[in-house]
Amino acid sequence: MSATATGVYHRSYRRESALRHTKAEYFRLALMIVGLLVTPYVLDNYWLSIVNTILIAVIGAVGLNILVGFTGQISLGQGGFLAIGAFSSALLYQRADLPAPLSIACAVVITAVAGALFGLPALRIKGLYLAIATLASQEIIVFVARRWTFLRDGSAPLTVDRLSLGSFEIERQYFEWQWYWILLTFAVLAVLAARNLFRSSLGRSFMAVRDQDIAASAIGVNITRAKVTAFAVSSGFVGLAGALSAHYTETVTWEAFTLDVSILYLAMIIVGGLGTIAGSVYGAAFMVLVPVFIQETVGAVGDSVPVLLSRVPAIEQVVFGLVIIFFLLFEPRGLAQIWQRMKDYIRFWPFRY
Amino acid sequence: MFRIRWTATLAASALVALTACAPPGADEGGDEGGAIPVGVIADLTGATGDVGTPYNDGMLGYIDWINSEGGIEGREIDATSKDYAYDVPTAERLYKEYLNEGAVAIQGWGTGDSEALSGKVSQDEIPFMSASYAEALTDPAQAPYNFVVAPTYSDQARVGLNWIDEDSDATAEVAFFHNDSPFGLAPLADAEAWIEEKGLDISMEAYPMPAGAANYVGLLARAKAQGAKYVLIQNVSSPAATVAKDIAAQNLDMRIVCLNWCSDELFIETAGDAAEGSVLVQPFAPVTADQEGHADIEAYLSEKGSSLEEEGVHYVQGWYTMHILAEGIRQVLEDGDDLSGPAIKEALETMGPIDTGGVVGTGTVEFSSDSHRGSTGSGVYVAEGGSMKPLETGVTPE
Repeated sequence: MSATATGVYHRSYRRESALRHTKAEYFRLALMIVGLLVTPYVLDNYWLSIVNTILIAVIGAVGLNILVGFTGQISLGQGGFLAIGAFSSALLYQRADLPAPLSIACAVVITAVAGALFGLPALRIKGLYLAIATLASQEIIVFVARRWTFLRDGSAPLTVDRLSLGSFEIERQYFEWQWYWILLTFAVLAVLAARNLFRSSLGRSFMAVRDQDIAASAIGVNITRAKVTAFAVSSGFVGLAGALSAHYTETVTWEAFTLDVSILYLAMIIVGGLGTIAGSVYGAAFMVLVPVFIQETVGAVGDSVPVLLSRVPAIEQVVFGLVIIFFLLFEPRGLAQIWQRMKDYIRFWPFRY
Repeated sequence: MFRIRWTATLAASALVALTACAPPGADEGGDEGGAIPVGVIADLTGATGDVGTPYNDGMLGYIDWINSEGGIEGREIDATSKDYAYDVPTAERLYKEYLNEGAVAIQGWGTGDSEALSGKVSQDEIPFMSASYAEALTDPAQAPYNFVVAPTYSDQARVGLNWIDEDSDATAEVAFFHNDSPFGLAPLADAEAWIEEKGLDISMEAYPMPAGAANYVGLLARAKAQGAKYVLIQNVSSPAATVAKDIAAQNLDMRIVCLNWCSDELFIETAGDAAEGSVLVQPFAPVTADQEGHADIEAYLSEKGSSLEEEGVHYVQGWYTMHILAEGIRQVLEDGDDLSGPAIKEALETMGPIDTGGVVGTGTVEFSSDSHRGSTGSGVYVAEGGSMKPLETGVTPE
């Protein structure tokens, strides 16, 4: 809990239930909104494409955090659920000619149902055993995506036509720019939805299951319902991320949904902060930016140390591992906690607390 | 409630106002006549890095050579090559980076990334060549901006199967060992159809090779149970060499027939004696085939203190793939057109055969507006005394 929250008094219930209480919080919100609005005008297409990747990752990471961080159910099946979302939306849009919003919505529902189904083992097993069960779901889904020829265009992977809706169509030269607004809208809605979910009884039942499931059932939480719903809700978010990535990358191939992706998303929420929505956002941004910055750095010093240039993927792997170890050792509550401590430090300066 | 609605309306209208105003001036990439930017997506450290590295060296060697010769019509090629470690999302990121830097053409690598990017490159109108010779990429109706310089994997498999059919007296039992990826699977369906269509006396079973396996004894045991006398391999050199060693160690009576990516000096070197007698289908002439097209490369390499013997056949492959793209660019510049993706595509489709000094396929590479299959001829070699000895050259599947 942040120390900043002390000394804030509410005179009405509405005030108390507001998402933000202090002027500083409103100020930061305004700053962030301005930042997000200005972003597409200051970044070039390459950096904007990275921001777009981050926005998709944010939705996926929020989804995974609902399951892992808030409900305490570990999942290695993230890549598989992303694949279900991507393939469903692509097939509905491409083969069944559904309009994009409808195909994306259907993909969310389909992934949620699949998630609930694959989450059923969670009713009987916990911890490491559940991790292995979800690992199986990852492998099964990717195996099907690999072998089922229906999921390909003849011998080529499934391609998705450039997004269009009615008379609106994504234009070539404004591709990243237009996608930024679409993805930003979805990401903001996803973050708001998740943030508010945990102010509702459903979200609180998830956290009760995480903290102590026996106690939760003693106070009347239906554990079966909570666990299955958590899997469904989480997979719904992940399915949305998958569907958006299908339309954004315009090709759907199983190679983008391997176990590595599941691990990457787990890393995002560990680095960002388990059990915080803001942490999912920081973590997603951080993990997408790490390889990009490594490449930029190596590119900058590459002329003097050419051996680095041919080792970029290896360096990425090493840094990836080091980052996770670093956070687990020094700040298990992730970037969200670091940010919190920075805010507290400034607020109480020059006193320690 | 009123306040929330008011804030929401304000936010929504601000968003609409912002999105409605014109996006930042998108750079149309007008041709200014300087160096020619080309992006290279290379695999140096990934699953196929063993053959990807010499291929990439060949491309960069060619660029270095042509720039020192004065460039194309006086303009140098400015190539950026980055390692993507055979990871499709990384390839997508690199592609966007190159696109943003104004690359007029992209040299890719694997089947997975070539296929994954094929929709994008046609939308963005960027010519894309790669070391993937998947049949799906040759059809301009499906992949209008992909150019396949060499005979496809399917054509190579057809040549390989024809050779097996001739070599064997009775029904040939063939085990098709392939990389478990789009690259490995690319020729499978066509190979099966070919056996059917030509009525070849061959019975073939497919076995995906598990990635990162220490040996393939289990797979070979299954092939033995099938009664396989031939192992047709669609994979890169290192795993293929492991198969060769396993066959020798198990004393199995099987002969390896390699397609493109394991038909090289690396395979022979790694497998050692176990490689002897293996048949190698390779569309690019190795140094032992001694073609006139090798002369420029030899001259360039000896200046650098190396030789084609050291660099191997994939260096030749990279060199000539870049050569074909460069010839397309040269044609555009000679015609006095603005250098752009569509112009290069048009030039490659209409310029007629591109000479490769006998190195690629039957000697020339030619594209047309209804086929991006650059060549159909492959050479058949046999591993003998530690090198690739030509059996036949310019074999087309018939």
